[in-house]
Amino acid sequence: MANLKVDVTDLNKSFGDNHVLKGIDFKVANNEVVVLIGPSGSGKSTLLRCLNRLENPTSGKVSIDGKDISNTKTNIDQARENIGMVFQHFNLFNNLTVGQNVELAPVELGKLSKEDAAAQAKKLLTTVGLEDKYSAKPQSLSGGQKQRVAIARALAMNPDIMLFDEPTSALDPEMVGDVLEVMKKLAKEGMTMVVVTHEMGFAKEMADRVVFMADGVVVEEGKPEAVFDHPKNERTKAFLDKVINV
Amino acid sequence: MKIRLKLFFALFFATLGMFAWHAPQVHAATTYTIGTDVTFPPFVYANSNNKYVGIDMELIRSIAKEEGFKVNIKPLGFNAAVQSLSSGQIDGVIAGMTITDERKQTLNFSTPYYESGIVMAVAPSSKITSLKGLKGKTVAVKTGTQGATYANSIKDKYGFKIVTFDDSDNVYNDVKTGNSAACFDDSAVLNYGVKTGLGLKIVTKPTDVGQYGFAVKKGQNQKLLKMFNAGLAKLKKNGKYDQIIKKYTGKAATTKTSKSNSEGSTFFGLLRQNQKAILSGILETLKLTIVSIICATIFGILVGLLGVLPNKFARGISTTIVYIFRGLPLLVLALFIYNGVPSLTGTKIPAFVAGIITLTLNEGAYTAAFVKGGIEAVDIGQMEAARSLGLPFGKAMGKVILPQGIKIMIPSFINQFIITLKDTSILSIIGILELTQTGKIIIARNLEGFKVWAIIAVIYLLIITLLTLLSKWVERRIND
Repeated sequence: MANLKVDVTDLNKSFGDNHVLKGIDFKVANNEVVVLIGPSGSGKSTLLRCLNRLENPTSGKVSIDGKDISNTKTNIDQARENIGMVFQHFNLFNNLTVGQNVELAPVELGKLSKEDAAAQAKKLLTTVGLEDKYSAKPQSLSGGQKQRVAIARALAMNPDIMLFDEPTSALDPEMVGDVLEVMKKLAKEGMTMVVVTHEMGFAKEMADRVVFMADGVVVEEGKPEAVFDHPKNERTKAFLDKVINV
Repeated sequence: MKIRLKLFFALFFATLGMFAWHAPQVHAATTYTIGTDVTFPPFVYANSNNKYVGIDMELIRSIAKEEGFKVNIKPLGFNAAVQSLSSGQIDGVIAGMTITDERKQTLNFSTPYYESGIVMAVAPSSKITSLKGLKGKTVAVKTGTQGATYANSIKDKYGFKIVTFDDSDNVYNDVKTGNSAACFDDSAVLNYGVKTGLGLKIVTKPTDVGQYGFAVKKGQNQKLLKMFNAGLAKLKKNGKYDQIIKKYTGKAATTKTSKSNSEGSTFFGLLRQNQKAILSGILETLKLTIVSIICATIFGILVGLLGVLPNKFARGISTTIVYIFRGLPLLVLALFIYNGVPSLTGTKIPAFVAGIITLTLNEGAYTAAFVKGGIEAVDIGQMEAARSLGLPFGKAMGKVILPQGIKIMIPSFINQFIITLKDTSILSIIGILELTQTGKIIIARNLEGFKVWAIIAVIYLLIITLLTLLSKWVERRIND
């Protein structure tokens, strides 16, 4: 079990009467890329948000790198330093420049000096193809550029795992490619990734494993070719029919 | 952020501490604080040099001299003076107060120092010459005076209606304009007014004669009361008492005052004549405004931040504070803090401090509400993104949320500063000599209501304009 990056057992989450996650077991190995798919309201995003406790689990256990995230005694801020997260709506800090967005956390948390953080920010922005936007304000960027800055920002804390919550859903179609490119690069470098997405192409190409969720339970999981080409469950079939034959 | 918050706290408590340290000095061993109503000529009023003069003032000062104590005169207004006396904020009241059985329940009176009755005054052209002429008419009186009590006691017998005003000026004007047929007031007061060009005539002999006395709270400051009585007896013996009475009811005094009135009957004349008083009123208003804005902003931001903490208890406290202090009328809050709290705890609160506390709580509650609203208006995703990077709540708040929230709040802050400035006028109720109270006092002397209030209004507008310009300038600096 030592190489398990994510270990979720019997996770339940309710919002009031709404039982969103119903006893989820979910594991991710080191360097693994897992793609979560499923109809909206199936609980994919909630599961992802439980992994860094943006949502408090109602019951069950969530471990990241052997650290018990679901335990309220765990220093969650420290744990989050190693868990990068990318949001559907980017959530770039609007009061800061692109460079400052990337530098803020490492400087404030004492990981890097201001100079080192700036150098790192420039390097990361180059990686995502936005080195010329260092001094720009987030408001002046397109959606695709924003999302790439958001990825650079998450990488600035040098995390061991990256969580992506529908990173391309809010983008114009022509922007999606650039963001996926960056994510592919990350995956190839061996980053452990959990990705909630509707990009079936990305899932097929990059995922080590695809997990299909519906109504708060994991319905089916396996290698992409197995799930996409030979789905065993009727609900998986119905879902794939809908999203692939647009 | 932490350091800044600490600095805020330090400043806040340092300010409070300063006031607390100042407070006891007001009551040094032989100095007595005496409350009065400086809108009651010829007994108490402010002369054109803004000095408090009149029969009561000369008496209390002469007696203090005779008996070897010092007085600190507080121009509180009649109602506030009596309330402050019973709550222990002041030691005595001398304000042309009639000795009544009802007042004796809570106060101890000196031997009477003046006798006065109620008379009726009408417009010069009026044909009414006696109480019988009032049938079916309206009569004007001033709230809480013996004249009002007298009018109420005979209104059914003579069949007239009563309209009440807070200021003598309004009472007299109502008669002059013909809305009311007559007014009832103290004979000495009306006599003085008639002589100084009030424009009314007195048509009845003094009735319902009452005696004026100096008052202390029942069972307290008996030494002061004894000294007053002893001093009064001495003044009567050595002729000083008669001198004082003559000075303010005889011809000499009144002609002098009417001369100074004619000097200042134009806007600029009034302004020039009262420039010292008005200037100190402006300064007091500015002092109140600035200190309140600083305290209320700090208090409001702290309570507002409390309201967005991820802690139910903290949010509950914040909501409760906002609910209470936004719900209370400012006037009630001011009187409660100045008169209510001291009568419970026994500690005295200087009027200025009580005023600052009042405005801090009230304006701070409004500030807290929009600070909380401004923070909540920042997209929740900003906080989630900051927290997901490992930033603790405080850092996320200070570096990401607040800078964005403050931009949203700035227009509300400017608005609140202006409201604070205007609300300082309400503190005239606890006798703070700010701009509004200054206006009241000037009008009590010269009865130039329209012109003086116009001057006061223009001054408020000028200050508000300056404050707005300053705020806009700061806003531009922050937004750049």
